[in-house]
Amino acid sequence: MTDSAVIEVSDLRHSYSSVEALRGVSFSVPRGSFFALLGPNGAGKTTLVHALCTLLRPSAGHVAVAGLDVRRAPRDVRRTLGLVFQEPSLDDRLTVFENLVFHARIYQVPRRQRRERAWAVLELVELQEWANAPAGNLSRGMKRRLEIGRAMLHEPSLVVLDEPTTGLDVQSRRRIWEYLERLQRDYGVTLLLTTHQISEAEGADLVAIIDRGELQALDCPSTLRQRIGRKLINLQIRDESFRQSLSERFTGRCTQRDTVLQIEADDPDELLRELVADEERWTMVDSLEIVDPSLEDVFINLTGRELRDRTADGMR
Amino acid sequence: MTGLTRVLRYLHDFAAATHAVWLREVLRMLRDSGQIVGAFSRPVLWVMIFGIGLTPYFRTGLRETTFMVPFTYIQFILPAVVVLNLMYPAIQSAVSLIWDREFGFSREVFASPTPRSAVFFGKLLGGGTIAMAQGLLVLLLLPAANVPVSYASLLGALVPMATVALAFTAIGLFLASRMSSFQGFGVFANTLILPAFFLASSIFPLDPSLSMEQALQSFPAWLVFLVHANPVTYAIDELRWVMLGYRQFDPITARTVLSAFVLIPVIMAYHAFRR
Repeated sequence: MTDSAVIEVSDLRHSYSSVEALRGVSFSVPRGSFFALLGPNGAGKTTLVHALCTLLRPSAGHVAVAGLDVRRAPRDVRRTLGLVFQEPSLDDRLTVFENLVFHARIYQVPRRQRRERAWAVLELVELQEWANAPAGNLSRGMKRRLEIGRAMLHEPSLVVLDEPTTGLDVQSRRRIWEYLERLQRDYGVTLLLTTHQISEAEGADLVAIIDRGELQALDCPSTLRQRIGRKLINLQIRDESFRQSLSERFTGRCTQRDTVLQIEADDPDELLRELVADEERWTMVDSLEIVDPSLEDVFINLTGRELRDRTADGMR
Repeated sequence: MTGLTRVLRYLHDFAAATHAVWLREVLRMLRDSGQIVGAFSRPVLWVMIFGIGLTPYFRTGLRETTFMVPFTYIQFILPAVVVLNLMYPAIQSAVSLIWDREFGFSREVFASPTPRSAVFFGKLLGGGTIAMAQGLLVLLLLPAANVPVSYASLLGALVPMATVALAFTAIGLFLASRMSSFQGFGVFANTLILPAFFLASSIFPLDPSLSMEQALQSFPAWLVFLVHANPVTYAIDELRWVMLGYRQFDPITARTVLSAFVLIPVIMAYHAFRR
């Protein structure tokens, strides 16, 4: 175990009756990093998070948070953790401020510091004016912000967020993103976030891709993207027969979405030269772009499936 | 840390968490207008309407009674209404447990470093406090009911009242720990409260001057048995003793039954809650 790691997970396994949710996952999260756990719904992310925050006793394997074994010292582990759950967990009948003070009490924040810290986190998530409003009056995005602030109240070294932006509009999402970045930058907090949205993982320092209870890859996003090695060429072509002939020519290397044909190329220059040579047909290309593979492509490459399709199934 | 400071630290944390949960229960009640309306309307309904309406029949009786007591019907039912106003909020307070599970607040509590037992005691004391407050509210009707009560007897009333408050909060917590729906809980709570209240020598007296054999002549056997088996009977009897100086049952039996009536549900609820 290294000193710089906040979380150490080794060979973690967990089964729910007959279903194996985690099949031997190992990784470590460096102190102060922003760590994203990316995978489709049902990949085992929430099980992993529950094992981390001692809400679940794993069937086998070892988990340590801040050097503390989750099985042997669950209460100490909980003290070092800030949690933001997938579903809201505020008391709607209490005011925003009362929710925070309640949290301070059950997390054993010394009495003299409770109110002061509650104001500090309200300022952090910009909800001071709402301090005396019932939490039930807040919008979903504001509730999420309050929950993030609340997770910081007892000054944890690690904040775990389980799908924190699910169900939020784009603006709220962006705002939450800003807060998280500030937490990492100004407070030196380690962030562990689970998501099934690629865009959220792109900004992380480290991305662990998890699918079917197994860790598929773990690296920084740029390295993961480079792993594929190839470039992607997006061609928009309205003419169907042309699209057809191209997709036949590059069978196995191209995917089609509406009128856009995406071709993988180890050497894009050569492929383009070939296309331009056919002058008559070249004019039928409406637009062209060459892009680096996204994390989504990495995911497909690793698992042979798309992330979005499975989430659309509503699988859990 | 030495052993002692660690123990003190633990106790301090335990107390802080219990206080937090207790305070939350009380604040929630104060913001629940339905509960507050119920707390006021229930005693008024029973004492003012039921009590005043039935007073003329109490001494004479609709049937042949050999039964005379030295007080009015309102005076007779007032202690029972106190108990009724304890039972409802006590059981109702446990709904917060189902509520918390449904709306996710339980995650906030159970993922915290707070021991579950502290959460349990917070809930138990919170429910008990809410119930006591509503029970004491009924005592405001004492002048209207023309019951002469001294401060000393009021203090004495707190003991049987607290017994009922804690016992029914524990029963509520036990049920709520095992139930998942609000509706189911509500139905269950009502089917429990009303018989427990009616079969407690609350609104009609089992004639104390009669022997068991004679009582069995004027009432069906099952009724006599149920009234005797119902712990609430003894709580009301204790309260009557404190407030009116009148009792129907043996005090030692009453106090033994009441002690068991607090302990057993609390222990059961504690185990159900810890699971």
